[in-house]
Amino acid sequence: MRITVDLAKCQDHGQCAIAAPAVFQMDEEGRLVYEGNPDESYRFEVEEAADVCPVQAILIED
Amino acid sequence: MTVTPPDAAPRLDIADPSFSITSDLVHEARERSWYARTNYGIAILRYEEVSRLLKHPKLRQGSAAWPAHNGVTEGPFADWFASWVLNKEGEEHHRLRRLMNPAFSSKLIGGLVPRFQALATELIDGFAEPGRCEFVSEFAEPYAARVIAIMLGLPEHEWPIIARESATIGLAMGITLRQDLPKIEEALGSLYAYADALIADRRGAERDDFVSALVKANRDSDRLSDAELRDALVLLIFGGYDTTRNQLGLAMQTFMRHPDQWRLLAERPELGGKAVEEVMRVNPTVRWVTREALEDFTFAGLDIEAGTTVHLFSESAGTDPRAFGESAFDITAERKPHVGFGGGAHHCLGHFVARSDMSEALPLLARRMRDPHIDGRDEWLPDSGNTGPIRLPIAFTPAP
Repeated sequence: MRITVDLAKCQDHGQCAIAAPAVFQMDEEGRLVYEGNPDESYRFEVEEAADVCPVQAILIED
Repeated sequence: MTVTPPDAAPRLDIADPSFSITSDLVHEARERSWYARTNYGIAILRYEEVSRLLKHPKLRQGSAAWPAHNGVTEGPFADWFASWVLNKEGEEHHRLRRLMNPAFSSKLIGGLVPRFQALATELIDGFAEPGRCEFVSEFAEPYAARVIAIMLGLPEHEWPIIARESATIGLAMGITLRQDLPKIEEALGSLYAYADALIADRRGAERDDFVSALVKANRDSDRLSDAELRDALVLLIFGGYDTTRNQLGLAMQTFMRHPDQWRLLAERPELGGKAVEEVMRVNPTVRWVTREALEDFTFAGLDIEAGTTVHLFSESAGTDPRAFGESAFDITAERKPHVGFGGGAHHCLGHFVARSDMSEALPLLARRMRDPHIDGRDEWLPDSGNTGPIRLPIAFTPAP
């Protein structure tokens, strides 16, 4: 699957990293890092992450 | 950049009963320095720094020690407070948060919009007198409590229980916690009994609702214990009620000071969402959010020691001219995100609900209540912690 995060919207709240820690992480500085092409097996968690994002910045492209 | 030496930072006496977190004193301090020293810990006053520290990995949520700070170290209230997802960190926090999040997703809440609209209309139609209302008891309280009832699948006519017991538990957030403890624990016991009955009911016959989802998580795995299940339900009842009631009252206060914006909202109900954001920027019910330093670190040239309490002042940040200019209250403006829902791992769980229910209520109120103004004696909670009106009598010109 393919994901993009709108970094203009992203506020680094890190809710995605709680919902799908294998795909989204917060670095030492508290900034988001993520895997743009995660394995299909993570789809459920990634959908949760997109749902829960307070600013709705996560787009699942396929 | 320039760094303010520690001894030059302003001082704020936040324990003074007359301290107002939205006062000129605080705003003047903000113009001198991004932070102030207080009786305990530091206060952060500017948008950029508040926004960054809200999510800073070296800080944890700072309210866990609140009961102990007030001499309450054991008993039902101390136990319940310690159980809050807000007061957990790390993997335990994340597990609870993952279990609760799906019930609050924006997709689920979208389907409730017609019910929020019908509820607001019913309450306005039910005002005892034409052209007058006591906004808190006739609108904000029943609206906030019945939204919780709708969310949790409770009978809506039982809303006074939610309102009464939650308001009593809310006393625990004030500095008279210890004196009020017997009342608070009685109210807590009453909500526990209520939650237990609700859990028993859904165990008997599962529905397609939020409580059933939690009951299922409790039954199908060890992800959610019995104690966590009832603690969480009581927290959701309490946490969703108080804040929404207060924020609606504060919205009325702001709009009564800006009648042109109220008229605009009546004409353009699609601005409801932006109206909520703008109100929460300049007049948020959660006046401050507290964090605690996990370890020593340096931020913007200031050394912050492990254990330091860091108070993030939301109204001061929301009205910071560096971030928002000197511009007035304007529900059509494009703004940076406000900090009224906190941020980071502890970002408000119920923000989609709060945003949705208030963005439906405000335009309906604006259409039906023309030219509102305070008419009688208003009463307010202290201007710190979580604030809002206790009594807000309003006169207006009724409109269909």
